[in-house]
Order: sequence, then structure tokens, then C-alpha cells
Amino acid sequence: MISLLLDSSNKNLSVGIGKNGKVLAFSEYEAWQQQSELMIPEIAKLVNDNNITFEQINNIVVAIGPGSYTGVRIAVTIAKIMAFILKAKLYTVSSLAVLASATKPTICLVNARSNRSYFAVYEKDAMLIKDTILSNEEILAFIKANPEYLLSGDLNYLGITPITIDRFQNMLNLINKENEVSDLMSVKPQYLKD
Amino acid sequence: MTYTFTSHNKQTTTSLGFFLAEHLQNGDVVTLTGDLGAGKTTLTQGIAKGLNIEDRVNSPTFNIMKCYFKATKPLFHIDAYRLEDSNSDIGLDEFIGADGISVIEWPMYISKLIPSEVLSINLIHAGGDKRTITISGNNEHYDKIVALIKGASL
Repeated sequence: MISLLLDSSNKNLSVGIGKNGKVLAFSEYEAWQQQSELMIPEIAKLVNDNNITFEQINNIVVAIGPGSYTGVRIAVTIAKIMAFILKAKLYTVSSLAVLASATKPTICLVNARSNRSYFAVYEKDAMLIKDTILSNEEILAFIKANPEYLLSGDLNYLGITPITIDRFQNMLNLINKENEVSDLMSVKPQYLKD
Repeated sequence: MTYTFTSHNKQTTTSLGFFLAEHLQNGDVVTLTGDLGAGKTTLTQGIAKGLNIEDRVNSPTFNIMKCYFKATKPLFHIDAYRLEDSNSDIGLDEFIGADGISVIEWPMYISKLIPSEVLSINLIHAGGDKRTITISGNNEHYDKIVALIKGASL
């Protein structure tokens, strides 16, 4: 069972391959505004380097946002086309959900700029507070009021040290009926700002 | 700090851009105002030249934004003309003030996205090829650039 894992929702380019529920290989680095050029070559490289054929890919997992305006569109577009051509199953997951700790409730954050952040609270694959956008002031107050929650994301902009997460294992763990796409053409990225 | 001078020809406007490129830093935001043909694109071409950009620089009226990463400092050239009254969020805030120099034409159409501290340049037709150029800064860094322009013989 081979799964392709894609996320370009923030500044990073993240491409991974899972085999039977475990991470086989991945590539992840910062590629702000270059993800559209780099994602397909990275997928091809990972597939080739691990002696996999595209036809073997059963599942594609993609982070659909919230995040960067162009970023949330790139991986979703590539995932939809690949799922269509390869007749693979497509799973869409929140880009905040993939930041959660595997064991404890986690406040998941992504910088939304203009002093705001995308915010959610997840515990493993369970959503405790749905993805939303809040002012950083509200978020800092929430963090203070809930010291038992872990903090995850690229949090330098808030002066917070985040936990280390395994984004790719998280994406594999989110392969379930609930996240499976039934109508491929209806999949849309989640931007959350209007 | 504000400085007004007369550019007698296109070359002077280009030289102003070239001079600016040297002193602008990543994260800086420059707004350009002035009628069609006042020299906003000419000035931007001067900035691009100063940043060693070899690609052709033209007004991104249709594209809205053109980014030049092959440069000594990246240049994000935005023309907000087509965004008038649209109020649509197309992610421009990810570029303005980010790791590069933002040059914004028709900034009034995206006023919500313009930071409070900018270097603003206004160009006005003054007959023939002459242009009256007014440069204003509203923080220490931009004021220093205005002072440098004042002291330079362009």
C-alpha cells in the first residue's frame, strides 16, 4: 500500500511517501513561492529513488489549507490531477491537523499575517476546535488560559518554541473514511480568509 | 521628510530608480503614484536595472504582480489598477513587506494592504518630458534615502 503525501500550504515544500502506514521517504525544505516549480520534480525524484512506479500509488494525501493563498492551491491541484490520472484514492486533510502531536492535545498555528493566525486544536486525528482565523492577541490569551496544550507550527513570529512533529506520519494516520474524497472534481483548497 | 525636484528627461527618472535600488533593503515598500505616462514604470525599470535584473520589466497591469527573483535583492512589482473596488484578497499581503523590495503602482486601490511606513513617490507631468517628482519618507530609514537623493546629483 503506497501513499503519496503532499503539503505546500505554508512556506515549506513537503513531499513524502508512505508504505503500509509508515513513512518510507520524504523531502521537506523551505521553498517560498517556488513550490509550483519544485513539487513535481520532487515527487518524481522520490518515486524514482525508492524504486516505486507511479502506478503503484494507491493513496494521495494532500493538505488543503488553511495557509498561503497560492500555496494552498499548488499541492491540491497536483494531487487532484495525479489522483485522476492514476485512479488513486484522494484524502484531504487540514494543514493544521498535520501539525498535531501524536499523543497530546495540540494548539496548531500557522501565520496568517496582519497580526493574525490560522488556529485549531487537535488531539491525534480528533478535532477539538475547528480551523479558524484569530488575532494573535486572542491566540496568546488562549495559550495562557490552556497551559496543558502543546504548541505546534512555525512559531518564531510569536516568539514561541514549537514541539517537533512528524508531518508525514501524521498525514498517513489521517488516511480514513472521513477524509476520503468521493467527488474528485469538487475538491477545493481552504483559504479561510474572504 | 519630503523632497521635490524636476526630472528633465526619462534618463533622470531611470537614474533615480537605479540610485534607489542601492539603498532599498529587503522588506522595503515603495508606492508610486502619478497619471498614466508619468514615469512609474520607467522608475521601476531603473530600480530593476540597479538590482541587476535582466528580465524585461513592464507594468503588470494585466498580471497584477510580477516577481523577479533573479536579482541582487528580489523585486515584487505590483500594479493594483485592476483591483479598484474589487476588495478581493489574492494573497498580495504575502509579498508586501516580505523578503524583497515591493514597488506598488496605484497603491490607493489596495490601501488596506499598504503598511503605515512607506517610501512614497509621486510623479507629475510638467510639460514635454519634464516631471515633477516628490519623494516622501515617514521613518528614519526612508528619510535617510530621501536625504541621500537630495544630496545626489541625478
